[in-house]
Amino acid sequence: MRGLAEDDKTPFLGRRIAPGIRIVAIAIISIILMMVDHASTSLTPVRSTLAVATQPIQMIAEMPGEIAHYMGRYFDRGQLITENEALEQKVLLLQARLQRLASLQAENERIRALLASASSLDQNVLIARILSVSPDPYRHYIKLNKGSTDGVFVGQALVDANGIMGQVTDVTPLDSRAILITDANHGIPVEINRTGLQTIAQGSGKSNELRLPFLANNADIRADDLLVTSGLGGRYPAGYPVGTVTSVVHQPGDEFLDVVANPSAHLNRGREVLLVWTSNTEAQAREDEAITEAAPADDAGAEPTAP
Amino acid sequence: MIIERRVSGLLIVATLGAALFLALLPLPDALSAVRPAIYPATVLFWVLMQPMSFGLIAAWCCGILIDVIYGTPFGEHGLAMAVAGYAVIRLRDLLWTFPVWQQSVLLLPVFILYEFVLFWIDGVAGAEVNQWWRWLPVLTTTVIWPFWASLLERIAEFEVG
Repeated sequence: MRGLAEDDKTPFLGRRIAPGIRIVAIAIISIILMMVDHASTSLTPVRSTLAVATQPIQMIAEMPGEIAHYMGRYFDRGQLITENEALEQKVLLLQARLQRLASLQAENERIRALLASASSLDQNVLIARILSVSPDPYRHYIKLNKGSTDGVFVGQALVDANGIMGQVTDVTPLDSRAILITDANHGIPVEINRTGLQTIAQGSGKSNELRLPFLANNADIRADDLLVTSGLGGRYPAGYPVGTVTSVVHQPGDEFLDVVANPSAHLNRGREVLLVWTSNTEAQAREDEAITEAAPADDAGAEPTAP
Repeated sequence: MIIERRVSGLLIVATLGAALFLALLPLPDALSAVRPAIYPATVLFWVLMQPMSFGLIAAWCCGILIDVIYGTPFGEHGLAMAVAGYAVIRLRDLLWTFPVWQQSVLLLPVFILYEFVLFWIDGVAGAEVNQWWRWLPVLTTTVIWPFWASLLERIAEFEVG
């Protein structure tokens, strides 16, 4: 047994400081850092720089999965052929629908113009690939391969073929991070498609569950109701499917209904997502960013509290 | 014992990189919940074994790296790592008297402390995860510690000769 009392005091800036004092100093610095990080975006540049530095190790960690994915494709020719055929049929079907949609859109826009409505159906999309899902099982984040150089900005909505997935929360030059609607810290303004009733769907922390905690006991909602984005709050474009109600339970004595919904988007499957935004939201986001330089953005609608 | 000699910084960085790789490897949800905290274990191993070159500030920096990758509040894992490191420094005299496989019993409270700091900060930041299985990695880390620590020790001994 060696007494290492002296070695405990490793030299720091030429002095030897006892670990007790150091841990107190580290704790104070950490707490200040966390508070600053929580309250403002001033640490974002530091974060993005470090994120770029840690990119290689993350890419290496993703590699086994990627290799398995590609090897699977290489060996499974039969599956590839059936997949291809299915996709061809789907393209045909979708194209047929699209033809109808184009005329419908034109009609809709004419009618909107007649009503002198300001809202437009014009939406921009960007395809991104999912690089990785959150390694922390309690935070529902995904990493995307598009960053600010590709035009990604904070607040962009993420959709897949079936519905809304989430929104972008952090952007580095080369990649970005998005929070999913099932994250316990995420809320999304929705309306019930059947009745137009507005409410907020909160993530539950489970990957297949949303909760609607703010519905009064007499609210008109039942199982199998479709929830779509209401577009309130300005983050999400209106009219995209969010989920379907799976159960509505009224606990006697409670003021609110216990409503659970199942997200429409396939949150834990698939590798490609669409980033959707309207020119309005882009301008809004740029404006927000300019404001956040001074104060944190306080969006009433869908604001992740702890990115 | 390698505590008598200084291990090169390159080796420390390499082992930390390997641990980070294991921590980031995508796993299905069920497995991911019991994934042992290899990376913090590696940091604590070096705090324990290389007090001269790897102290609390190094542990804190390692934690900051995790904050960047996980997107958690800046300093959350840094603080947890430093607090756990401090506990290891306090326990060091005791830990050295035990063989690696018995150390893990003594380290169990340290791993609990690490997880508790994270749990506390999550709660304050409003990202509360209050489910019992959150504490499972503490157990799996304790189980994996003897193997991982003796592996690291072998590698380090091999390097210093």
